[in-house]
Amino acid sequence: MFFNSLSFAIFLPIVFVLYWFVCNKNKTTQNTLLIIASYYFYSCWDWRFLFLLVFSTFLDYYTGIRIEKSRKESGRKFWFWLSIGINLGFLGLFKYYNFFAASFAELMQGFGLKTSPFLLDVVLPVGISFYTFHGLSYVIDIYYKRIKAEYNFVDYSLFVSYFPLLVAGPIERATHLLPQVKVKREFDFGRAKEGIYQMLWGLFKKVVIADTCATYANAIFDHYETMNSLSLVLGSVYFAFQIYGDFSGYSDMALGMSKLFGIDLLKNFNYPYFSRDIAEFWRRWHISLSSWFRDYLYIPLGGSKGGLWMKIRNTFIIFLVSGFWHGANWTYVAWGFINALYFLPLLLSKSNRNNLDTVVLDKSWNSVKTITSILITFVLTCLAWIFFRAKTITDAVLYINNMFTNNHYTSQYLTNERYNYELIILVLVFVIVEWNNRTKVEPISGKYQTIKLAFCLAAIITLGTYSDYKEFIYFQF
Amino acid sequence: MKKFLLFTIKTIFIIILLAVLLDYSYTSIYLKSSNRNKIEYVYNSQPQNYDVVILGSSRANNHFVSEMFEQKGLKTYNYGMSGGHLFEASLMLKLMLERNYKIKNIILETDLNLSNEHQAEGVAARYLPYFHVSETVRKHFEKESDFKELYYIPFYRYIKYETRIGFREVFFGLINKKSKLLDHGGYYSLGNKKGNMKNDISTLKPLKNKYYEEIKQLCRQHNINLIAVMTPMCENTKGMNYFDKVKKSYPEIHNYENTVIEDKYFSSCGHMNDAGARMFTAKIIEDFFNKQSNIQTSF
Repeated sequence: MFFNSLSFAIFLPIVFVLYWFVCNKNKTTQNTLLIIASYYFYSCWDWRFLFLLVFSTFLDYYTGIRIEKSRKESGRKFWFWLSIGINLGFLGLFKYYNFFAASFAELMQGFGLKTSPFLLDVVLPVGISFYTFHGLSYVIDIYYKRIKAEYNFVDYSLFVSYFPLLVAGPIERATHLLPQVKVKREFDFGRAKEGIYQMLWGLFKKVVIADTCATYANAIFDHYETMNSLSLVLGSVYFAFQIYGDFSGYSDMALGMSKLFGIDLLKNFNYPYFSRDIAEFWRRWHISLSSWFRDYLYIPLGGSKGGLWMKIRNTFIIFLVSGFWHGANWTYVAWGFINALYFLPLLLSKSNRNNLDTVVLDKSWNSVKTITSILITFVLTCLAWIFFRAKTITDAVLYINNMFTNNHYTSQYLTNERYNYELIILVLVFVIVEWNNRTKVEPISGKYQTIKLAFCLAAIITLGTYSDYKEFIYFQF
Repeated sequence: MKKFLLFTIKTIFIIILLAVLLDYSYTSIYLKSSNRNKIEYVYNSQPQNYDVVILGSSRANNHFVSEMFEQKGLKTYNYGMSGGHLFEASLMLKLMLERNYKIKNIILETDLNLSNEHQAEGVAARYLPYFHVSETVRKHFEKESDFKELYYIPFYRYIKYETRIGFREVFFGLINKKSKLLDHGGYYSLGNKKGNMKNDISTLKPLKNKYYEEIKQLCRQHNINLIAVMTPMCENTKGMNYFDKVKKSYPEIHNYENTVIEDKYFSSCGHMNDAGARMFTAKIIEDFFNKQSNIQTSF
């Protein structure tokens, strides 16, 4: 059941009505309803994976309590590592086992040894990377005594399986979400309206921007050998907007619908393509994951406190792991590596925290500099996205090579029966709208909101792509 | 909560209003457009006189060179539609007759498309703008499983088939952008082979096809000479006995599957290139139109 499906359009209002009109007595009834709805939502993909979700929930709930109750350090350590081991074990088994087994076999083949690896015939459970990270952060925080263990199983279950964030985040923190589910939520019209606007804007980003860009990006990436330079450049730009529209659109929908239930989720995107350097980009892109890795990997590794080599090592580790988190393929690792390379000069020159303020333009030379920085960052990001999108690293390298050596900048008719340049206007309009609203969560609220709402709805109805590309990219992670 | 209910009602009202207005606007544009595809070309046309009309799928569209018929003095148009099935060909003929077309001969490509009675969504979608204004179109779709939602929910058909009749196509209709599909008497030539010259049609089974029967009946009623033909496939096709099965079910269909066989005359296994199409058309003209008195009929 996708957020942009008809079944979800029926599911959400039913849960909303039951939540505010039937189960509104206290927070327990509210939470129980949301858990039932969440489990139903999750089982719509594959009910068998529900057992995995329940098991993961119970594991972290129980080990969290045991860590807190253990008086001896050895006991705390035992429960901590048990939880970490099982959580990562499941993730590794479902997501990475086949990849490592196949890679090992390939490596052996390189040495002339033929092996036939035992591969698992399993489907990756939807959202496993997300709810595993929820659980991990919870257990780690308890172990380091940052938070208290949650003794109410209903409240904890909701923290892990709350349906707006269950399958593709944002990756929540116990410190942020648990306090909200521990109190009865009261209906707030302003917040609910904001939620609807944010959902609609998210839907716009998904069906109008991401899915439309996808038809072009796929046509170009799948036939990159026959594409000219202009098509290849546009292909990478279209993919950049596809993945942004897809994932930030999903996040907006998740945040917006959560507001309908009186719960605020962590902001996941903050107009990343207006970043002035890569460090800023990573502070604005998939914020909940970046901050997770910062808090639970980068800082424990020593962060940027150690010597030069320590800093470089930690930077590469965090980007490589981040790439690998996205999927079991060397292309993601390469994508992480490239981003680490981009980040390194900023780190070494201690300018990685230069751009913390909101971008402001005026009529000074500084604005020209800012715009240039934004464009350079975007170009670098697009180049890295080629590795993310390509099927293999060789494909990505050939794609870039063709892009720079073909030198033909003419229009090309693509397999999606469109010309390569046709989408440029839509993308530009989208960029302008985002730029003008970069200090807000969504562009609909404020002055003339009814008119803007009508425009947004009209765009969703008329410009959306509905015949294909329904799945959100990040569901596969 | 009352405020929120009002807000929700307002939003739903805006959606419904937009759907109705957009549906009306799109339909109005399609009712005036006639140079984007063959369906609207026929729908918005005046009565025509043809010696030969060609119907069928891409294997008609890419295989019958209209210009060669014209050179013989036969007023011809190729109404074959890429991706189309007999469902769409039958409706096309109904629309032509409704518009008082006078047709002497119809060449109908009847081979692989006999194996199913489904609509080809990509092509059938182009009829949907006329749902509410044409009884013929409405009746033709009436038994389709998604008829009710497409017919009653405003704008739904334009959303569901946005790649075919959505914003882009409406925009081109509005600015009167001409499509190449209507050039060369409707014939669309293909270039030389690009891909693998092999095909497997062993799983296909020719049916007693409802829409083929419908076309036959319409031709009988309107005294149109129907010439049903099977068109060539490349040599490396698995399951070539399919054409024998067609011949067994429908002896009146002329088998031209073997007329052109060499790969150099094909663009893909099921589609001849321009050279192949010209060889094939020459053979058809020779067999059916050299002496008007010798015309063979399919019934």
